[in-house]
Amino acid sequence: MSEPTACHNANQTCWSCPAVEFKGHVDFRACGQAAFRKAAEGQLVVECKRRPEIGYFDPTSITFEHCTEWKKTDSGYLLDGMRVLILGMDGYLGWPLALKLAKQGCKVYGIDNLLRRKLVADRGAQSVIPIETMENRVKAANEELGVDIDFREMDLLDRDALFAYIKEVQPESIVQFAEIPSAPYSMADVDKAVDTIQNNVVGTLGLLFGVRDHAPDASIIKLGTMGEYGSPLTGRPLFEGLFPGDAVLQYKGEEWSLGGELTPRDPVSFYHVSKVQGTFSVYEACKYWWLRSYDVMQGVIYGNHSDELSAHPSLATRFDIDEWWGTVVNRFVAQAVIGMPLTIYGSGNQLRGYITLKDAMQCITRLIAAPPEPGQYDVVNQVTDVMSVKQIAQTVATIGAEFGLDTEVQRIENPRVEAEEHPYEVIHDKLSENFGFTSESSFEDEVRGMFEVLTKPEAVARIKQQESKLFPTTKWSGETAKLKVLETWKPEIKDKAA
Amino acid sequence: MQISDEIFEDKVLKSERPVLVDFWASWCPPCKMMQPLVDRLHEELTGTAEIVSINIDQNPQTAAAYKITGVPTFVSFRNGQEVARKTGALTENQLRKMIDTASEQNQAA
Repeated sequence: MSEPTACHNANQTCWSCPAVEFKGHVDFRACGQAAFRKAAEGQLVVECKRRPEIGYFDPTSITFEHCTEWKKTDSGYLLDGMRVLILGMDGYLGWPLALKLAKQGCKVYGIDNLLRRKLVADRGAQSVIPIETMENRVKAANEELGVDIDFREMDLLDRDALFAYIKEVQPESIVQFAEIPSAPYSMADVDKAVDTIQNNVVGTLGLLFGVRDHAPDASIIKLGTMGEYGSPLTGRPLFEGLFPGDAVLQYKGEEWSLGGELTPRDPVSFYHVSKVQGTFSVYEACKYWWLRSYDVMQGVIYGNHSDELSAHPSLATRFDIDEWWGTVVNRFVAQAVIGMPLTIYGSGNQLRGYITLKDAMQCITRLIAAPPEPGQYDVVNQVTDVMSVKQIAQTVATIGAEFGLDTEVQRIENPRVEAEEHPYEVIHDKLSENFGFTSESSFEDEVRGMFEVLTKPEAVARIKQQESKLFPTTKWSGETAKLKVLETWKPEIKDKAA
Repeated sequence: MQISDEIFEDKVLKSERPVLVDFWASWCPPCKMMQPLVDRLHEELTGTAEIVSINIDQNPQTAAAYKITGVPTFVSFRNGQEVARKTGALTENQLRKMIDTASEQNQAA
């Protein structure tokens, strides 16, 4: 047995390293039926693309800990100068990830068609925290953090351009963030539903062919959402994408193992449907072509902070708060800041998984550092806290009081079709157990940090300019009548001194 | 416990105890998810039976010799002879039954 080590990926070997090339008869398809034919070719060997002078060797013989190309970082061993391609680099998540990876020594490349900026503007909304153009951001990253980021304005659906870029960059990891991320947008009308499906489903599908043909050894980090699972009323745990090995199906006196089969998906909007389709596309590509991927079921994300973002105002990431583009916690803080009641949909007892922006970036970096094995498709539930919408409103109101804000909470008719009373047991063990993730932020601290930024006069002004876009109007039914207010109250704020 | 082509004969064929071999691959989600259960049985049955895993891509000779056409495939051995095999993920009960059958084979021999 080897000694326990601090790094989650110390014992991984060249077998999962994107910098090696397999040599010999490499045909892993057909569910193992190629094993006969392979045997004649002898043992499987690899050649290191970075150190070809070693010659061919056994891929399990060198660990990341002992390879000179892998350097120890805060996120585990990281392939020195790893080439990471971020699709959707201009987004809420794409930009902070680019900065974090670049700071950790990765060579970061990215594309974006700047669609999010356009869609938010079309809605009559704007990022509460002003953001620079991509050109200026890349320049600021260089000046403030001393890193070089290669950005190209490009549409994921422009496959000729995308494939040429993949061929040029030869990425060792690819992060797929280039998707339209709004449930209400996808439910607003037929054009928006079709746009969401077209961009997300077709974009990801095309990408997979590009990876197959030009960067088959790269790990694909695919962003999914916890909303792919829905919230089963039976209380069945939400496993991490695949049933565990001891899950059993019993029926009419017989039993079968469910181990490793995809767990049921029950998406809650056409946006979530697009994410489920993405999951299946990636799963199939791993099966057909021996691609490798982590599919990240991310909880609702919130916050605006990371060490790199905070280095200079011109490095800020976007922060949306309107009904379509703002996530619930970010929206509640903005509502509290301008004295608007926090709008809870229906009972407010809906339970969801949440994670801060900073923690999410740590998780993604750790996944990149520990690539899947060849052909491996795996799923992680990227969540730190499970909370009800009511609890969130209560905490936001309580912390708002520290900033002198007197906040009301309002229950309104639920515009969505969803269970309002339901069990919710999320399994989220892999990131902490297998990838060494430890949360670096708490809900309260992150909300406090958001209030500090959003209570500044210029931010308040930018919230007020889009006040009419904060109250929800998009009903899943397609009806346009204004949503009824069911109840309004002032949460009890416990005196800290008491 | 992971084994390889090189030690397959010693660990499996020459074992004095019944052996259950888990043929697996990194691209097979059921194989990956079965691993903790297989490892737990290995720990629990130490001294009674051997439960070992072998990666078919890294160990093509053994995979070919036993004509593995799908994964996971569980093959039980007694005194160097194959006793039974099943392909596809198995429940804990089914795995234990395979080991028990191989053990009974021992008494018969």
